[in-house]
Amino acid sequence: MKFNVEVGPQFEGERVRKDDLYIEFGGPKVGAKVELATIKKMDEVEHGKITIIGPDIGDLAEGGSYPLGVQVEVAGPELDKDMEPVFERRIHQYCNYIEGFMHSAQRNDVWIRISKDAVKKGLTSLEEVGKVLVYLYPSELPIIEKVAVTFITDSKKVEEFLPSALTVYKERDERVKGLTEEVVDEFYGCTLCQSFAPTHVCIITPERVSLCGAVNWFDGRAASKIDPYGPQFVVEKGELLDANTTIYSKVNEVVAEKSMGASSVFCLHSVFGNPHTSCGCFESIAFYIPEVDGVGILTRDFSGESVNGSPFSTMAGELSGGKQVEGYIGMGVEYLRSPKFLKGDGGLRRVVWMPKVVKERMKDSISPEMFDKIATEEHAKNIDELTEFLNKVKHPVMSGEFS
Amino acid sequence: MSKNKEETLKIIKGEDAWEPVGPTPLPDITDLRNWSMRLLKTYKPFYAPFCDLCCNCTYGKCDLTAGKKGACGIDIATHQARWVLMQCCMGLSAHGAHGRHLIDYLINKHGKDYKIDLGLQVDVEAPIIRTVMGLKPEILGDLRTVIEYVERGLIHLVSSTHTGQEGHYLDFENKSLHAGMLDLLAMEAADIAQIAGYNYPTSIADTPLVELGWGAIDKTKPVILAIGHNAAPINATIDYLQNNNLEDKVEVCGICCTAHDVTRRSDRAKVVGHLARQLFFIRCGIADVIITDEQCVRTDVPEEATRAGASLIATSDKICYGLEDVTEKEIDEIVKMITEEKKQVLILDPDKAGEVAARVAIAIAPGRKKEFINEKTAMKLAKECNGCNLCSEACPNLLSVGKSVKEFADGEVDKLSETFKLCFTCGKCEQKCPKNIPIIKIMQAVATKETYKMRSGRGPIHDVEIRQVGSPIVLGTIPGIVAFVGCSNYPKGDKEIAEMMDEFARRKYIVVASGCAAMAAGMVKDKEGKTIWEKYPPGFEAGGVLNVGSCVANSHIAGAAIKVANIFAKLPGRANYECIADYILNRVGACGVAWGAYSQKALAIGTGFNRWGVPVVLGPHSAKYKRLYLSRKEEDDWNIMDGRTEKMMDEYVEPAPEHLAIVIESKERAIVSIAKYCIRRNDTPVGRQIKLNHYIALYKKYMGEGFPDDLHLFIRKPTDVPMFFKREVMDYLKKIGWKPRQQVGLPTLINTYPTKANIADIK
Amino acid sequence: MKPYWDVNVLTGTKTAKIVEDPVQWASIIKKSIRPLYILGPDTVDRNIGDKLFLEYCLDVAKAGNLPICATAHVRKKMSEMGVETDSAYDIIEIINHLKDPEWQGVRKEGNHDLIMFTGVRCDLAERGLATLKHFAPHLKTMALCRFSHPNADFALPVIRKDTKWQEYFDGLVANLIN
Ligand code: SF4
Ligand code: SF4
Ligand code: SF4
Ligand code: SF4
Repeated sequence: MKFNVEVGPQFEGERVRKDDLYIEFGGPKVGAKVELATIKKMDEVEHGKITIIGPDIGDLAEGGSYPLGVQVEVAGPELDKDMEPVFERRIHQYCNYIEGFMHSAQRNDVWIRISKDAVKKGLTSLEEVGKVLVYLYPSELPIIEKVAVTFITDSKKVEEFLPSALTVYKERDERVKGLTEEVVDEFYGCTLCQSFAPTHVCIITPERVSLCGAVNWFDGRAASKIDPYGPQFVVEKGELLDANTTIYSKVNEVVAEKSMGASSVFCLHSVFGNPHTSCGCFESIAFYIPEVDGVGILTRDFSGESVNGSPFSTMAGELSGGKQVEGYIGMGVEYLRSPKFLKGDGGLRRVVWMPKVVKERMKDSISPEMFDKIATEEHAKNIDELTEFLNKVKHPVMSGEFS
Repeated sequence: MSKNKEETLKIIKGEDAWEPVGPTPLPDITDLRNWSMRLLKTYKPFYAPFCDLCCNCTYGKCDLTAGKKGACGIDIATHQARWVLMQCCMGLSAHGAHGRHLIDYLINKHGKDYKIDLGLQVDVEAPIIRTVMGLKPEILGDLRTVIEYVERGLIHLVSSTHTGQEGHYLDFENKSLHAGMLDLLAMEAADIAQIAGYNYPTSIADTPLVELGWGAIDKTKPVILAIGHNAAPINATIDYLQNNNLEDKVEVCGICCTAHDVTRRSDRAKVVGHLARQLFFIRCGIADVIITDEQCVRTDVPEEATRAGASLIATSDKICYGLEDVTEKEIDEIVKMITEEKKQVLILDPDKAGEVAARVAIAIAPGRKKEFINEKTAMKLAKECNGCNLCSEACPNLLSVGKSVKEFADGEVDKLSETFKLCFTCGKCEQKCPKNIPIIKIMQAVATKETYKMRSGRGPIHDVEIRQVGSPIVLGTIPGIVAFVGCSNYPKGDKEIAEMMDEFARRKYIVVASGCAAMAAGMVKDKEGKTIWEKYPPGFEAGGVLNVGSCVANSHIAGAAIKVANIFAKLPGRANYECIADYILNRVGACGVAWGAYSQKALAIGTGFNRWGVPVVLGPHSAKYKRLYLSRKEEDDWNIMDGRTEKMMDEYVEPAPEHLAIVIESKERAIVSIAKYCIRRNDTPVGRQIKLNHYIALYKKYMGEGFPDDLHLFIRKPTDVPMFFKREVMDYLKKIGWKPRQQVGLPTLINTYPTKANIADIK
Repeated sequence: MKPYWDVNVLTGTKTAKIVEDPVQWASIIKKSIRPLYILGPDTVDRNIGDKLFLEYCLDVAKAGNLPICATAHVRKKMSEMGVETDSAYDIIEIINHLKDPEWQGVRKEGNHDLIMFTGVRCDLAERGLATLKHFAPHLKTMALCRFSHPNADFALPVIRKDTKWQEYFDGLVANLIN
């Protein structure tokens, strides 16, 4: 495939700054913007069809901000509706592979910036972007057999398209909310990290994102269909052996097999007993603080020492490598939002310390009552200060009333 | 010669239980021999004799051409291997002695119990020392233990080069690999010592940007130039200037690694440039005082200093230049000897030398005239040229210097200015000129006077950085770590280094530099006027460009690879060389590039990296090292064990990395090859896709359309094929009859040869 | 005879036979059974007169029906010119293969018995020729290079003038065709 600009993973994360900006689509200055991927029947999609409704890049005045709707329709006999959000995220990923083309945010917040250099090199039509998408979807995801892409730059037409997209988003969000470990039939496992932590297995449920933060239940589902022999695979639940710490019989079996016997009991939602293993690429750590009988959260980008005196590197050294280490788990930061977060240990009510930025980020998921009771580095730099703080705010761990 | 176990444990403080002691504490020549031999089975030595004769002993000269043997029975291959070992030992002793001096000096200053603290971000302070020796150094005194171990090894290595000792090239190679390993060890000790002893930056990534280029030196001030690798004396100058509030009034600058180390001490110090600018800059006459320390310093500095009207202070027992040793004299008296009697002196006390340099510079600078010659004068000098080209014939970089001089005389500037960019300013051309034309002086007129920036050396890679990139490196989604190291014997100038670094940084490799390469990379600006040091972030991250520091800081590059295994993957590291090296070889996609390597040190360093399992790409001049380690991808032994099942994977032919030490002729080819040498057998499908994506894209850019002829060897399953080339590659694979094969779970060589290493460690 | 570049001065006893006459050069090639022509990057980075160096070399290859190994980045220019190379090993790699008498050659018909170099960086070529001199007694080497190479079996004298160099090529091509 030949394009006017280069396409490749090296452009991921490339920024288009103000001085380099040719035009932008969407973003804060524009009201009408939307992006949607949907699955259609095989005969509803004409593969490779790229439609542009409204003026193209080359027709638009330099320096302006313009409306945009992106609609990707895919088809393939094995696709299922739950994969739509996964495919929609690919718009972001693929667009960012394009040199001088920066895609950020999603849904009706989407924001695209195109650089002067890219336009100079010949990126003067959205057709080229469409071609990249049409090429990459089936290349990466062979279960997709047909792709069609529509770009809408006509403001009125975008407005017309928007309500239907919002309805789809809403339905999806409802579905996510309703997805609990109880209602789904299967979980997913990932052993990608075994290449450096040979006994590590990630179990991914609708209420437990992978500990690298990169794989949620939908991703796991899509990936296991796309490459059944790949690193992500289906895990049947089996029988629920312990509803509190959350132990499932079949999960135990899979973990035992994939870890070559290193772990045979796996609690999904507890740091005690037989916790989930940790490979080495976890975003954060939940660690037990015996002095206060509470749990602290430490993230990788926190550069100081945590409240128990260890910086991330030291603590990470303790628990990584695919072993079950009681009192510690590596976890994706988003796991904090899960209703089942450390269910077996008292959930967020057991949490006594986390970095300030994380607390702010999680604000809408922490109850107002608990929010003021969780210390950050501003409240406590060591265990003594922590104890004092917890006493002052009457944290539930101090009275043992966390569960 | 079995070692005393108790003695060993005592040396490495075995009771200190930070990790259990692994199978090979304090290894001697034969302890890791099986690992060497296993590597050499796949990566066979390749010899390119520089000279067909041997004149090592009084039986000689012996002609060893094509199958003939010497009077002692040696053949040409074994003789080459012996040479390589001698050179590795030279390199090793240069670093070892440098470390020994620094450590002794710092122990004198701070005491042997002075704590080593590399800051909050660095817990594993000495990955090489820990892995090779089994020692965890905590105080300066421990670093002396390291050097003592190195010294003990060195004596045995050098001994084996005597006539009538070792008789097989493979065993010489094992010894060279051993020397290389000790070399990295000595370098790590030396750099840790200076970081601790001089408070060099550590545990931060964005070290200051310092000024670079001879154009950056303020001629109106007294100028002190340090040349070499041991910054002790010039650091003392900095201390003296700081203590006397003179830092603004005096320019301190350096050439070669001592420039790195003095800018780590003070970011006001400046870097003139790399090794190849030595004679040029001395002859410019801008330096009032020259301090020489050790290594890569020109042998004719005394003569050149005199010619340029500069004072000279030699400071090392390695380079005494026949000068009077005035170490014991009073400072006032020495200053007087230099300023009034115009003497060049040897001062073996770094503190004294540092102060004398400052005082002399301040005293003599006002009386000296310092100007680059102008174009008109230069052209007048060039007018004498008769176009005989004798100068060109002498040029070690094969430059048509005669033609350039002739054209310059006729008013054409460009060609000479291009020649200067590729020139080593070695002076060989001038010696040949029947007209005595001062070619290097003429070049002053065409040399840029631009000022550049270089990020000063940062020391070790942080443990947290390792943790953050550990997974993408091992999975392969960060496509590789490419380290540009070594000297400035570049075939086509500094520009190529900057270009290569840029190509990999923009592709989100982690790009590391050190030594002269870090300087060369900074001597080029992009269209926005930025050097590579200003353009990319300084962290050990995808797309980061880092300067670890001087030559001895190369140890931190190996250290980073070890840390990926030890910190990130939790492989036990203590005295566990083979397991860690095996991990690096099979799983850490790192590649060294020594594009202008010239020295024996560079040979030792490269060989040291090879033993750790890191491939090294060398520029064309390095064929003169006489030995490479090459495989033949279609024919050689690529069998590997799956560590999980401990079964041999015989069908599993994947030449990754393809070579351990190879010379590549052109930059274009090198770029494509480096991308390939970052492929590892452990890559996950996503990682392999990314690596192959770059390999293919670069191939198309530099080698033309189509696909590399070995592409199929690196594709295990369709999921390895980069999505950007999916259809074309799948068609191509079909055409050549490719068949899918399995991916090996935990690729390892451990237990495929007799070893004390424990395969359980890698599980 | 001293080669043009001082760095290539021989320290040894076995030195190249200088072949001044293109007729003789051509007849050596013709007598070989499986020759190989190795082209280095100077052929694409330099001109002789106004013509790209590579074009002269391709004429030789064509006239003598010589398989080509395009080292460094020579392949790119060749493919732009629509010429396919038989092999694209880099210089050190091809030498490493040639050392092995059992190797099957770039056309998989057996190892080559005659190797000719043009346009490889002179100091590197000299090292490669030394390797072959010592470790590949099963083949002969020729350096078709105006700077002369003592480590080859057959070398040119130093040719200083472009016109003389062009003449040599012309003579060679003419005699290879006949
Ligand atoms: S951490 Fe992420 S990549 Fe690693 S095994 Fe878990 S889900 Fe897979
Ligand atoms: S060391 Fe051996 S080959 Fe060299 S001169 Fe002495 S006898 Fe001859
Ligand atoms: S000084 Fe420069 S031009 Fe002269 S011989 Fe040395 S490298 Fe060549
Ligand atoms: S040797 Fe001297 S005279 Fe001859 S070309 Fe070179 S500069 Fe000119």
